[in-house]
Amino acid sequence: MLQSAPALEIRELTKRYDDGTLALEDTDLTVPDGAFFGLLGPNGAGKTTLINAVCNLIRVTSGEVLVFGEPADTLAARRSVGLAEQDINLDRFLTVEETLVYHGGYFGMAGDEARARAADMIETFDLRAKADVRTPKLSGGMRRRLLLARALMHRPRLVILDEPTAGVDFELRQELWTYIRRLHEEGTTILLTTHYLEEAETLCEEIALIRDGELIARDTAEGLRERYGGNTLADVYVKAMGMPVP
Amino acid sequence: MAQLDSLRKQTADEPALAPAAGDVGPADGLGGLAWLSRREILRVWKVWTQAVLAPVVSSMLFILVFGVSLGGRIREVAGFPYEVFVVPGLIVMAMVQAAYNNNASTIYQARSDRYVNDVLSAPMKPWQMNLGFNVGGIVRAIAIGAFLLLLALPLTGVGVAQPLVLVPAVLFGVVLFGALGTVVGIYAEQWDHTTFISNIVILPLAFVGGVFYSIDLLGSPWHELSHFNPVFYLVNAVRYGFLGTSDVSVALSLGVTAALAIPTYLWAQYLFTSGRRLKA
Ligand SMILES: Nc1ncnc2c1ncn2[C@@H]1O[C@H](COP(=O)(O)OP(=O)(O)OP(=O)(O)O)[C@@H](O)[C@H]1O
Ligand SMILES: [Mg+2]
Repeated sequence: MLQSAPALEIRELTKRYDDGTLALEDTDLTVPDGAFFGLLGPNGAGKTTLINAVCNLIRVTSGEVLVFGEPADTLAARRSVGLAEQDINLDRFLTVEETLVYHGGYFGMAGDEARARAADMIETFDLRAKADVRTPKLSGGMRRRLLLARALMHRPRLVILDEPTAGVDFELRQELWTYIRRLHEEGTTILLTTHYLEEAETLCEEIALIRDGELIARDTAEGLRERYGGNTLADVYVKAMGMPVP
Repeated sequence: MAQLDSLRKQTADEPALAPAAGDVGPADGLGGLAWLSRREILRVWKVWTQAVLAPVVSSMLFILVFGVSLGGRIREVAGFPYEVFVVPGLIVMAMVQAAYNNNASTIYQARSDRYVNDVLSAPMKPWQMNLGFNVGGIVRAIAIGAFLLLLALPLTGVGVAQPLVLVPAVLFGVVLFGALGTVVGIYAEQWDHTTFISNIVILPLAFVGGVFYSIDLLGSPWHELSHFNPVFYLVNAVRYGFLGTSDVSVALSLGVTAALAIPTYLWAQYLFTSGRRLKA
Protein backbone atom coordinates (compact mmCIF):
# COMPACT_ATOMS: atom_id res chain seq x y z
CA MET A 1 0.00 0.00 0.00
CA LEU A 2 1.26 3.45 -0.89
CA GLN A 3 2.33 5.23 2.28
CA SER A 4 1.96 8.63 0.66
CA ALA A 5 -1.49 8.09 -0.86
CA PRO A 6 -4.18 10.38 0.54
CA ALA A 7 -6.91 8.71 2.56
CA LEU A 8 -9.43 9.88 0.03
CA GLU A 9 -9.11 11.25 -3.43
CA ILE A 10 -12.20 12.19 -5.38
CA ARG A 11 -11.83 13.35 -8.96
CA GLU A 12 -14.59 14.92 -11.05
CA LEU A 13 -17.27 12.99 -9.26
CA THR A 14 -20.75 13.40 -10.69
CA LYS A 15 -23.87 11.73 -9.40
CA ARG A 16 -27.22 12.05 -11.07
CA TYR A 17 -29.93 9.96 -9.40
CA ASP A 18 -32.35 8.00 -11.52
CA ASP A 19 -35.06 10.62 -11.01
CA GLY A 20 -32.78 13.21 -12.59
CA THR A 21 -31.57 14.93 -9.40
CA LEU A 22 -28.02 16.14 -9.90
CA ALA A 23 -26.58 15.69 -6.42
CA LEU A 24 -22.89 16.20 -7.23
CA GLU A 25 -21.26 17.72 -10.27
CA ASP A 26 -17.56 17.39 -11.11
CA THR A 27 -16.59 17.39 -7.46
CA ASP A 28 -12.91 17.13 -6.53
CA LEU A 29 -11.81 16.50 -2.97
CA THR A 30 -8.63 15.19 -1.37
CA VAL A 31 -8.48 14.20 2.28
CA PRO A 32 -4.90 13.62 3.46
CA ASP A 33 -3.96 10.53 5.41
CA GLY A 34 -4.38 11.22 9.12
CA ALA A 35 -6.61 14.29 8.73
CA PHE A 36 -9.64 15.22 10.80
CA PHE A 37 -11.77 16.55 7.99
CA GLY A 38 -15.16 18.21 8.16
CA LEU A 39 -17.69 18.32 5.34
CA LEU A 40 -20.29 20.97 6.01
CA GLY A 41 -23.30 22.11 4.09
CA PRO A 42 -27.06 22.52 4.33
CA ASN A 43 -29.64 19.76 3.95
CA GLY A 44 -29.56 18.32 0.48
CA ALA A 45 -26.12 19.74 -0.37
CA GLY A 46 -24.75 16.34 -1.37
CA LYS A 47 -22.74 15.27 1.70
CA THR A 48 -24.32 11.86 2.07
CA THR A 49 -24.17 11.32 -1.67
CA LEU A 50 -20.42 11.96 -1.60
CA ILE A 51 -19.97 9.57 1.30
CA ASN A 52 -22.06 6.90 -0.40
CA ALA A 53 -19.86 7.16 -3.46
CA VAL A 54 -16.84 6.40 -1.28
CA CYS A 55 -18.59 3.45 0.38
CA ASN A 56 -19.87 1.66 -2.70
CA LEU A 57 -23.47 2.54 -1.85
CA ILE A 58 -24.46 4.42 -5.00
CA ARG A 59 -23.83 3.93 -8.68
CA VAL A 60 -21.67 6.91 -9.53
CA THR A 61 -22.47 8.62 -12.81
CA SER A 62 -18.87 9.54 -13.60
CA GLY A 63 -15.59 10.32 -11.92
CA GLU A 64 -13.09 8.50 -9.80
CA VAL A 65 -12.85 7.71 -6.09
CA LEU A 66 -9.61 6.42 -4.58
CA VAL A 67 -9.22 5.26 -0.99
CA PHE A 68 -5.58 5.16 0.09
CA GLY A 69 -4.73 5.01 -3.60
CA GLU A 70 -7.04 2.09 -4.37
CA PRO A 71 -10.23 2.44 -6.46
CA ALA A 72 -13.20 2.59 -4.09
CA ASP A 73 -14.78 -0.57 -5.45
CA THR A 74 -11.76 -2.80 -4.71
CA LEU A 75 -11.77 -5.08 -1.70
CA ALA A 76 -8.66 -3.40 -0.29
CA ALA A 77 -10.39 -0.01 -0.38
CA ARG A 78 -13.57 -1.42 1.08
CA ARG A 79 -11.76 -2.88 4.03
CA SER A 80 -10.00 0.33 4.95
CA VAL A 81 -13.22 2.34 5.34
CA GLY A 82 -15.59 2.30 8.29
CA LEU A 83 -18.92 4.06 7.88
CA ALA A 84 -21.48 5.20 10.42
CA GLU A 85 -24.43 6.25 8.32
CA GLN A 86 -26.64 9.21 9.02
CA ASP A 87 -29.72 7.00 9.29
CA ILE A 88 -29.56 4.09 11.65
CA ASN A 89 -29.36 0.84 9.70
CA LEU A 90 -29.05 -2.08 12.07
CA ASP A 91 -29.82 -5.71 11.38
CA ARG A 92 -33.03 -6.44 13.31
CA PHE A 93 -32.30 -10.15 13.63
CA LEU A 94 -29.03 -9.71 15.48
CA THR A 95 -28.15 -8.84 19.05
CA VAL A 96 -25.72 -6.06 19.87
CA GLU A 97 -22.84 -8.48 20.13
CA GLU A 98 -23.80 -10.35 16.97
CA THR A 99 -24.10 -7.07 15.09
CA LEU A 100 -20.44 -6.35 15.82
CA VAL A 101 -19.11 -9.87 15.34
CA TYR A 102 -20.92 -10.39 12.02
CA HIS A 103 -19.80 -7.01 10.76
CA GLY A 104 -16.23 -7.97 11.63
CA GLY A 105 -16.77 -11.20 9.71
CA TYR A 106 -18.11 -9.41 6.63
CA PHE A 107 -14.97 -7.27 6.76
CA GLY A 108 -12.63 -10.24 6.86
CA MET A 109 -11.93 -10.69 10.57
CA ALA A 110 -11.58 -14.19 11.96
CA GLY A 111 -14.14 -15.33 14.54
CA ASP A 112 -11.98 -15.16 17.67
CA GLU A 113 -10.53 -11.84 16.74
CA ALA A 114 -13.97 -10.42 15.96
CA ARG A 115 -15.39 -11.64 19.27
CA ALA A 116 -12.51 -10.13 21.25
CA ARG A 117 -12.79 -6.85 19.40
CA ALA A 118 -16.58 -6.83 19.84
CA ALA A 119 -16.15 -7.26 23.59
CA ASP A 120 -13.81 -4.24 23.64
CA MET A 121 -16.22 -2.12 21.62
CA ILE A 122 -19.13 -3.12 23.85
CA GLU A 123 -17.15 -1.93 26.88
CA THR A 124 -16.02 1.25 25.21
CA PHE A 125 -19.49 2.22 24.06
CA ASP A 126 -21.10 1.21 27.34
CA LEU A 127 -23.36 -1.43 25.83
CA ARG A 128 -22.48 -4.28 28.21
CA ALA A 129 -25.97 -4.46 29.73
CA LYS A 130 -27.49 -4.78 26.26
CA ALA A 131 -24.96 -7.09 24.64
CA ASP A 132 -27.48 -9.90 24.18
CA VAL A 133 -30.44 -7.72 23.27
CA ARG A 134 -31.68 -7.55 19.71
CA THR A 135 -31.21 -4.19 18.02
CA PRO A 136 -34.90 -3.19 17.73
CA LYS A 137 -35.03 -3.14 21.53
CA LEU A 138 -32.31 -0.51 21.94
CA SER A 139 -32.98 3.14 22.71
CA GLY A 140 -32.13 5.71 20.05
CA GLY A 141 -28.86 6.72 21.70
CA MET A 142 -27.82 3.10 22.14
CA ARG A 143 -28.47 2.44 18.47
CA ARG A 144 -26.31 5.41 17.58
CA ARG A 145 -23.52 4.06 19.80
CA LEU A 146 -23.80 0.63 18.25
CA LEU A 147 -23.67 2.18 14.80
CA LEU A 148 -20.40 3.88 15.72
CA ALA A 149 -18.99 0.76 17.34
CA ARG A 150 -19.83 -1.17 14.18
CA ALA A 151 -18.09 1.41 11.98
CA LEU A 152 -14.92 1.08 14.07
CA MET A 153 -15.17 -2.66 14.54
CA HIS A 154 -12.77 -3.72 11.78
CA ARG A 155 -10.19 -1.03 12.64
CA PRO A 156 -10.60 1.01 9.47
CA ARG A 157 -7.93 3.55 8.57
CA LEU A 158 -10.59 5.94 7.29
CA VAL A 159 -13.64 6.46 9.47
CA ILE A 160 -16.59 8.27 7.92
CA LEU A 161 -19.13 9.69 10.32
CA ASP A 162 -22.28 11.10 8.70
CA GLU A 163 -23.90 13.24 11.39
CA PRO A 164 -22.90 10.89 14.21
CA THR A 165 -24.31 13.14 16.93
CA ALA A 166 -27.75 13.73 15.44
CA GLY A 167 -30.29 13.03 18.17
CA VAL A 168 -27.64 12.24 20.73
CA ASP A 169 -27.76 13.73 24.24
CA PHE A 170 -25.15 16.20 25.46
CA GLU A 171 -23.25 13.76 27.63
CA LEU A 172 -22.95 11.10 24.96
CA ARG A 173 -21.88 13.72 22.47
CA GLN A 174 -19.01 14.76 24.71
CA GLU A 175 -18.03 11.13 25.16
CA LEU A 176 -18.18 10.45 21.46
CA TRP A 177 -15.95 13.38 20.68
CA THR A 178 -13.44 12.31 23.29
CA TYR A 179 -13.42 8.90 21.72
CA ILE A 180 -13.19 10.08 18.13
CA ARG A 181 -10.40 12.51 19.03
CA ARG A 182 -8.43 9.69 20.54
CA LEU A 183 -8.99 7.59 17.44
CA HIS A 184 -7.67 10.44 15.36
CA GLU A 185 -4.64 10.91 17.60
CA GLU A 186 -3.79 7.29 17.01
CA GLY A 187 -3.59 7.93 13.28
CA THR A 188 -7.08 7.22 11.95
CA THR A 189 -8.34 9.59 9.28
CA ILE A 190 -11.76 11.03 10.13
CA LEU A 191 -14.28 12.41 7.65
CA LEU A 192 -17.13 14.04 9.51
CA THR A 193 -20.36 15.72 8.54
CA THR A 194 -22.30 17.58 11.17
CA HIS A 195 -24.72 20.46 11.50
CA TYR A 196 -23.16 21.41 14.86
CA LEU A 197 -20.79 24.06 13.60
CA GLU A 198 -19.04 24.67 16.94
CA GLU A 199 -18.15 21.01 17.05
CA ALA A 200 -16.72 21.12 13.57
CA GLU A 201 -14.80 24.25 14.45
CA THR A 202 -13.08 22.74 17.48
CA LEU A 203 -12.54 19.25 16.07
CA CYS A 204 -11.73 19.53 12.40
CA GLU A 205 -8.30 20.46 11.12
CA GLU A 206 -9.75 21.17 7.73
CA ILE A 207 -13.23 21.93 6.52
CA ALA A 208 -14.88 21.78 3.13
CA LEU A 209 -18.10 23.66 2.48
CA ILE A 210 -20.52 22.10 0.04
CA ARG A 211 -23.63 23.64 -1.43
CA ASP A 212 -25.94 22.35 -4.16
CA GLY A 213 -23.51 19.60 -5.08
CA GLU A 214 -20.49 21.89 -5.43
CA LEU A 215 -17.54 22.33 -3.12
CA ILE A 216 -17.32 26.07 -2.61
CA ALA A 217 -14.45 26.35 -0.12
CA ARG A 218 -11.88 24.25 1.63
CA ASP A 219 -9.55 25.47 4.36
CA THR A 220 -8.83 25.39 8.08
CA ALA A 221 -11.51 26.93 10.28
CA GLU A 222 -9.19 29.91 10.76
CA GLY A 223 -8.55 30.24 7.03
CA LEU A 224 -12.28 30.19 6.35
CA ARG A 225 -12.92 32.85 9.00
CA GLU A 226 -10.33 35.11 7.41
CA ARG A 227 -11.57 34.51 3.92
CA TYR A 228 -15.22 35.16 4.68
CA GLY A 229 -14.61 37.71 7.43
CA GLY A 230 -16.46 36.15 10.32
CA ASN A 231 -15.80 35.62 14.01
CA THR A 232 -17.07 32.08 14.10
CA LEU A 233 -17.55 29.25 11.69
CA ALA A 234 -21.26 29.91 11.97
CA ASP A 235 -20.71 33.40 10.49
CA VAL A 236 -18.67 31.88 7.71
CA TYR A 237 -21.32 29.30 7.05
CA VAL A 238 -24.11 31.84 6.79
CA LYS A 239 -22.09 33.99 4.41
CA ALA A 240 -20.80 31.10 2.32
CA MET A 241 -24.16 29.53 1.87
CA GLY A 242 -25.83 32.81 1.04
CA MET A 243 -23.21 33.96 -1.40
CA PRO A 244 -23.10 33.14 -5.10
CA VAL A 245 -20.45 30.63 -6.03
CA PRO A 246 -17.15 32.57 -6.50
CA MET B 1 -18.51 7.56 33.13
CA ALA B 2 -18.06 4.04 31.98
CA GLN B 3 -16.84 4.99 28.54
CA LEU B 4 -14.09 7.21 29.78
CA ASP B 5 -13.04 4.61 32.30
CA SER B 6 -12.77 2.01 29.63
CA LEU B 7 -10.86 4.40 27.41
CA ARG B 8 -8.32 4.79 30.16
CA LYS B 9 -8.16 1.08 30.62
CA GLN B 10 -7.53 0.55 26.95
CA THR B 11 -4.79 3.13 26.88
CA ALA B 12 -3.06 1.11 29.54
CA ASP B 13 -3.28 -2.10 27.53
CA GLU B 14 -2.57 -1.62 23.87
CA PRO B 15 -3.55 0.82 21.16
CA ALA B 16 -6.99 -0.72 20.92
CA LEU B 17 -8.47 1.74 18.48
CA ALA B 18 -5.82 2.41 15.91
CA PRO B 19 -5.79 0.46 12.70
CA ALA B 20 -3.44 -2.47 13.08
CA ALA B 21 -1.94 -3.75 9.90
CA GLY B 22 -2.00 -7.47 9.30
CA ASP B 23 -4.69 -8.36 11.81
CA VAL B 24 -7.12 -9.35 9.09
CA GLY B 25 -7.09 -12.25 6.70
CA PRO B 26 -6.46 -12.09 2.95
CA ALA B 27 -8.68 -9.70 1.00
CA ASP B 28 -10.55 -12.34 -0.99
CA GLY B 29 -13.98 -11.85 0.55
CA LEU B 30 -14.37 -15.56 1.32
CA GLY B 31 -14.53 -14.94 5.06
CA GLY B 32 -17.24 -12.37 4.36
CA LEU B 33 -19.19 -14.92 2.33
CA ALA B 34 -18.93 -17.43 5.16
CA TRP B 35 -20.23 -14.89 7.71
CA LEU B 36 -23.03 -13.69 5.47
CA SER B 37 -24.12 -17.29 4.87
CA ARG B 38 -23.94 -17.88 8.59
CA ARG B 39 -26.06 -14.82 9.21
CA GLU B 40 -28.70 -16.08 6.78
CA ILE B 41 -28.76 -19.48 8.48
CA LEU B 42 -28.89 -17.85 11.92
CA ARG B 43 -31.91 -15.87 10.73
CA VAL B 44 -33.69 -19.10 9.80
CA TRP B 45 -32.66 -20.67 13.09
CA LYS B 46 -33.90 -17.76 15.18
CA VAL B 47 -37.39 -18.06 13.67
CA TRP B 48 -37.34 -21.82 13.06
CA THR B 49 -40.90 -22.33 14.29
CA GLN B 50 -42.21 -20.11 11.49
CA ALA B 51 -39.49 -20.90 9.01
CA VAL B 52 -39.32 -24.67 9.30
CA LEU B 53 -41.91 -26.05 11.69
CA ALA B 54 -44.95 -24.26 10.22
CA PRO B 55 -44.44 -25.43 6.62
CA VAL B 56 -43.67 -28.96 7.84
CA VAL B 57 -46.92 -29.06 9.83
CA SER B 58 -49.04 -27.67 6.98
CA SER B 59 -47.53 -30.06 4.44
CA MET B 60 -48.09 -32.96 6.81
CA LEU B 61 -51.74 -31.92 7.05
CA PHE B 62 -51.94 -32.00 3.26
CA ILE B 63 -50.30 -35.41 3.19
CA LEU B 64 -52.68 -36.73 5.85
CA VAL B 65 -55.87 -35.19 4.47
CA PHE B 66 -55.29 -35.57 0.74
CA GLY B 67 -53.26 -38.71 0.87
CA VAL B 68 -54.06 -40.90 3.79
CA SER B 69 -57.74 -40.08 4.32
CA LEU B 70 -58.85 -39.47 0.71
CA GLY B 71 -56.39 -42.06 -0.53
CA GLY B 72 -58.75 -44.91 0.27
CA ARG B 73 -61.39 -43.49 -2.07
CA ILE B 74 -59.17 -42.45 -4.95
CA ARG B 75 -57.96 -45.12 -7.28
CA GLU B 76 -54.29 -45.61 -7.82
CA VAL B 77 -52.48 -42.94 -9.81
CA ALA B 78 -49.71 -44.00 -12.17
CA GLY B 79 -49.59 -47.33 -10.40
CA PHE B 80 -49.08 -45.90 -6.93
CA PRO B 81 -51.45 -45.57 -4.00
CA TYR B 82 -52.65 -41.98 -3.91
CA GLU B 83 -51.05 -41.20 -0.54
CA VAL B 84 -47.69 -42.17 -2.00
CA PHE B 85 -48.27 -40.39 -5.31
CA VAL B 86 -48.90 -36.95 -3.75
CA VAL B 87 -45.97 -36.95 -1.32
CA PRO B 88 -43.15 -35.93 -3.73
CA GLY B 89 -45.04 -32.96 -5.12
CA LEU B 90 -46.13 -31.77 -1.69
CA ILE B 91 -42.60 -32.00 -0.35
CA VAL B 92 -41.01 -30.14 -3.24
CA MET B 93 -43.69 -27.44 -3.22
CA ALA B 94 -43.14 -26.86 0.50
CA MET B 95 -39.42 -26.60 -0.20
CA VAL B 96 -39.54 -24.17 -3.10
CA GLN B 97 -42.12 -21.95 -1.44
CA ALA B 98 -39.92 -21.71 1.64
CA ALA B 99 -36.90 -20.92 -0.53
CA TYR B 100 -38.85 -18.18 -2.30
CA ASN B 101 -40.38 -16.67 0.83
CA ASN B 102 -37.15 -16.78 2.78
CA ASN B 103 -35.02 -15.09 0.18
CA ALA B 104 -37.64 -12.55 -0.79
CA SER B 105 -38.07 -11.51 2.83
CA THR B 106 -34.42 -11.48 3.85
CA ILE B 107 -33.30 -9.17 1.05
CA TYR B 108 -36.46 -7.08 1.25
CA GLN B 109 -35.94 -6.50 4.97
CA ALA B 110 -32.25 -5.82 4.47
CA ARG B 111 -33.21 -3.16 1.93
CA SER B 112 -36.02 -1.60 3.92
CA ASP B 113 -33.97 -1.49 7.16
CA ARG B 114 -31.04 -0.43 4.96
CA TYR B 115 -28.87 -2.89 6.79
CA VAL B 116 -27.97 -4.22 3.34
CA ASN B 117 -25.53 -1.30 3.18
CA ASP B 118 -23.40 -3.02 5.80
CA VAL B 119 -22.93 -5.86 3.30
CA LEU B 120 -22.73 -3.71 0.17
CA SER B 121 -19.94 -1.62 1.73
CA ALA B 122 -18.04 -4.70 2.91
CA PRO B 123 -15.01 -6.10 1.09
CA MET B 124 -16.96 -8.81 -0.70
CA LYS B 125 -17.39 -9.55 -4.37
CA PRO B 126 -20.85 -9.32 -5.92
CA TRP B 127 -21.01 -13.10 -6.47
CA GLN B 128 -20.28 -13.60 -2.77
CA MET B 129 -23.09 -11.23 -1.76
CA ASN B 130 -25.53 -12.97 -4.12
CA LEU B 131 -24.59 -16.43 -2.94
CA GLY B 132 -24.63 -15.39 0.73
CA PHE B 133 -28.10 -13.88 0.48
CA ASN B 134 -29.37 -17.02 -1.30
CA VAL B 135 -28.01 -19.52 1.20
CA GLY B 136 -30.75 -19.10 3.82
CA GLY B 137 -33.56 -20.18 1.51
CA ILE B 138 -31.62 -23.20 0.31
CA VAL B 139 -30.79 -24.36 3.83
CA ARG B 140 -34.31 -23.73 5.03
CA ALA B 141 -35.79 -25.67 2.11
CA ILE B 142 -33.49 -28.61 2.69
CA ALA B 143 -34.38 -28.67 6.39
CA ILE B 144 -38.09 -28.73 5.52
CA GLY B 145 -37.57 -31.42 2.90
CA ALA B 146 -35.58 -33.60 5.29
CA PHE B 147 -38.19 -33.35 8.05
CA LEU B 148 -41.04 -34.09 5.66
CA LEU B 149 -39.25 -37.09 4.24
CA LEU B 150 -38.62 -38.45 7.73
CA LEU B 151 -42.29 -38.05 8.63
CA ALA B 152 -43.75 -39.22 5.33
CA LEU B 153 -41.56 -42.30 5.14
CA PRO B 154 -43.24 -44.27 7.94
CA LEU B 155 -46.69 -42.77 7.29
CA THR B 156 -47.01 -43.48 3.59
CA GLY B 157 -44.16 -45.82 2.80
CA VAL B 158 -42.80 -43.51 0.08
CA GLY B 159 -39.17 -44.26 -0.73
CA VAL B 160 -36.36 -42.73 -2.75
CA ALA B 161 -36.08 -44.72 -5.98
CA GLN B 162 -33.62 -42.51 -7.89
CA PRO B 163 -31.45 -40.44 -5.54
CA LEU B 164 -29.21 -39.36 -8.41
CA VAL B 165 -32.19 -37.68 -10.01
CA LEU B 166 -33.80 -36.50 -6.78
CA VAL B 167 -30.78 -34.52 -5.55
CA PRO B 168 -30.23 -32.39 -8.68
CA ALA B 169 -33.99 -31.97 -9.21
CA VAL B 170 -34.47 -30.63 -5.70
CA LEU B 171 -31.36 -28.48 -5.93
CA PHE B 172 -32.35 -26.86 -9.22
CA GLY B 173 -35.87 -26.29 -7.93
CA VAL B 174 -34.68 -24.69 -4.73
CA VAL B 175 -32.12 -22.51 -6.54
CA LEU B 176 -34.77 -21.48 -9.07
CA PHE B 177 -37.31 -20.36 -6.51
CA GLY B 178 -34.74 -19.08 -4.01
CA ALA B 179 -33.15 -16.87 -6.66
CA LEU B 180 -36.60 -15.78 -7.83
CA GLY B 181 -37.26 -14.71 -4.23
CA THR B 182 -34.04 -12.72 -4.20
CA VAL B 183 -34.91 -11.02 -7.47
CA VAL B 184 -38.46 -10.19 -6.39
CA GLY B 185 -37.21 -9.03 -2.95
CA ILE B 186 -34.79 -6.66 -4.69
CA TYR B 187 -37.40 -5.24 -7.08
CA ALA B 188 -40.26 -5.06 -4.55
CA GLU B 189 -41.23 -1.60 -3.44
CA GLN B 190 -43.66 -2.93 -0.87
CA TRP B 191 -43.81 -6.21 0.95
CA ASP B 192 -47.11 -6.97 -0.82
CA HIS B 193 -45.28 -7.30 -4.10
CA THR B 194 -43.47 -10.40 -2.88
CA THR B 195 -46.61 -12.09 -1.57
CA PHE B 196 -48.40 -11.13 -4.79
CA ILE B 197 -45.93 -13.16 -6.85
CA SER B 198 -46.24 -16.03 -4.40
CA ASN B 199 -50.06 -16.08 -4.46
CA ILE B 200 -50.65 -15.19 -8.09
CA VAL B 201 -47.82 -17.05 -9.79
CA ILE B 202 -46.25 -19.78 -7.68
CA LEU B 203 -49.29 -21.22 -5.93
CA PRO B 204 -51.55 -21.47 -9.03
CA LEU B 205 -48.75 -23.00 -11.09
CA ALA B 206 -48.21 -25.53 -8.33
CA PHE B 207 -51.89 -26.42 -8.21
CA VAL B 208 -52.07 -27.08 -11.94
CA GLY B 209 -48.53 -28.48 -12.05
CA GLY B 210 -49.46 -32.07 -11.34
CA VAL B 211 -48.81 -32.14 -7.59
CA PHE B 212 -52.21 -33.75 -6.95
CA TYR B 213 -52.76 -35.69 -10.16
CA SER B 214 -51.06 -37.19 -13.15
CA ILE B 215 -51.66 -35.08 -16.25
CA ASP B 216 -52.58 -38.27 -18.05
CA LEU B 217 -55.90 -37.90 -16.26
CA LEU B 218 -56.48 -34.54 -17.95
CA GLY B 219 -58.23 -34.08 -21.26
CA SER B 220 -57.24 -31.73 -24.04
CA PRO B 221 -56.27 -28.86 -23.90
CA TRP B 222 -55.29 -29.02 -20.20
CA HIS B 223 -52.98 -31.92 -20.82
CA GLU B 224 -51.03 -29.96 -23.47
CA LEU B 225 -51.14 -26.71 -21.53
CA SER B 226 -49.49 -28.37 -18.56
CA HIS B 227 -46.35 -28.66 -20.65
CA PHE B 228 -45.98 -24.88 -20.50
CA ASN B 229 -45.96 -24.90 -16.70
CA PRO B 230 -42.42 -24.91 -15.29
CA VAL B 231 -43.63 -26.34 -11.98
CA PHE B 232 -44.92 -29.38 -13.87
CA TYR B 233 -41.34 -30.30 -14.84
CA LEU B 234 -40.02 -29.71 -11.37
CA VAL B 235 -42.73 -31.85 -9.80
CA ASN B 236 -42.17 -34.62 -12.30
CA ALA B 237 -38.41 -34.60 -11.90
CA VAL B 238 -38.82 -34.85 -8.14
CA ARG B 239 -41.53 -37.47 -8.40
CA TYR B 240 -39.25 -39.53 -10.58
CA GLY B 241 -36.55 -39.19 -7.91
CA PHE B 242 -38.93 -40.54 -5.26
CA LEU B 243 -41.07 -43.03 -7.16
CA GLY B 244 -39.18 -43.77 -10.37
CA THR B 245 -42.17 -42.64 -12.45
CA SER B 246 -42.89 -39.46 -14.36
CA ASP B 247 -45.38 -37.98 -16.85
CA VAL B 248 -42.55 -36.80 -19.08
CA SER B 249 -38.96 -37.75 -19.79
CA VAL B 250 -36.67 -37.23 -16.82
CA ALA B 251 -34.00 -35.58 -18.92
CA LEU B 252 -36.55 -33.06 -20.15
CA SER B 253 -37.81 -32.39 -16.61
CA LEU B 254 -34.34 -31.87 -15.23
CA GLY B 255 -33.30 -29.89 -18.28
CA VAL B 256 -36.23 -27.47 -18.10
CA THR B 257 -35.76 -26.96 -14.36
CA ALA B 258 -32.05 -26.27 -14.78
CA ALA B 259 -32.69 -24.07 -17.80
CA LEU B 260 -34.89 -21.89 -15.61
CA ALA B 261 -32.79 -22.06 -12.45
CA ILE B 262 -29.54 -20.90 -14.01
CA PRO B 263 -30.81 -17.71 -15.69
CA THR B 264 -32.84 -16.81 -12.61
CA TYR B 265 -29.77 -17.10 -10.42
CA LEU B 266 -27.81 -15.05 -12.97
CA TRP B 267 -30.55 -12.43 -12.91
CA ALA B 268 -30.04 -12.06 -9.15
CA GLN B 269 -26.31 -11.93 -9.81
CA TYR B 270 -26.79 -9.16 -12.34
CA LEU B 271 -28.61 -7.11 -9.71
CA PHE B 272 -25.73 -7.49 -7.26
CA THR B 273 -23.07 -6.83 -9.89
CA SER B 274 -24.72 -3.77 -11.41
CA GLY B 275 -26.14 -2.46 -8.12
CA ARG B 276 -29.42 -1.82 -9.91
CA ARG B 277 -32.23 -1.42 -7.36
CA LEU B 278 -29.82 -2.15 -4.50
CA LYS B 279 -27.88 1.10 -4.82
CA ALA B 280 -29.44 4.47 -5.63
N1 LIG C 1 -31.97 8.04 -3.55
C1 LIG C 1 -32.13 9.26 -4.05
N2 LIG C 1 -32.85 9.45 -5.17
C2 LIG C 1 -33.01 10.69 -5.68
N3 LIG C 1 -32.48 11.79 -5.14
C3 LIG C 1 -31.75 11.67 -4.03
C4 LIG C 1 -31.53 10.40 -3.42
N4 LIG C 1 -30.76 10.57 -2.32
C5 LIG C 1 -30.51 11.89 -2.25
N5 LIG C 1 -31.11 12.56 -3.27
C6 LIG C 1 -31.06 14.00 -3.55
O1 LIG C 1 -29.70 14.37 -3.72
C7 LIG C 1 -29.45 15.64 -3.11
C8 LIG C 1 -28.32 15.50 -2.11
O2 LIG C 1 -28.77 14.68 -1.04
P1 LIG C 1 -27.81 14.21 0.13
O3 LIG C 1 -28.52 13.18 0.90
O4 LIG C 1 -26.49 13.86 -0.44
O5 LIG C 1 -27.69 15.56 0.99
P2 LIG C 1 -26.97 15.83 2.38
O6 LIG C 1 -25.97 16.92 2.12
O7 LIG C 1 -26.47 14.60 2.98
O8 LIG C 1 -28.16 16.45 3.23
P3 LIG C 1 -28.52 16.30 4.81
O9 LIG C 1 -27.75 17.33 5.55
O10 LIG C 1 -29.99 16.60 4.83
O11 LIG C 1 -28.20 14.91 5.21
C9 LIG C 1 -30.77 16.09 -2.54
O12 LIG C 1 -31.40 16.93 -3.47
C10 LIG C 1 -31.56 14.81 -2.38
O13 LIG C 1 -32.94 15.04 -2.48
MG1 LIG D 1 -26.92 13.55 4.61
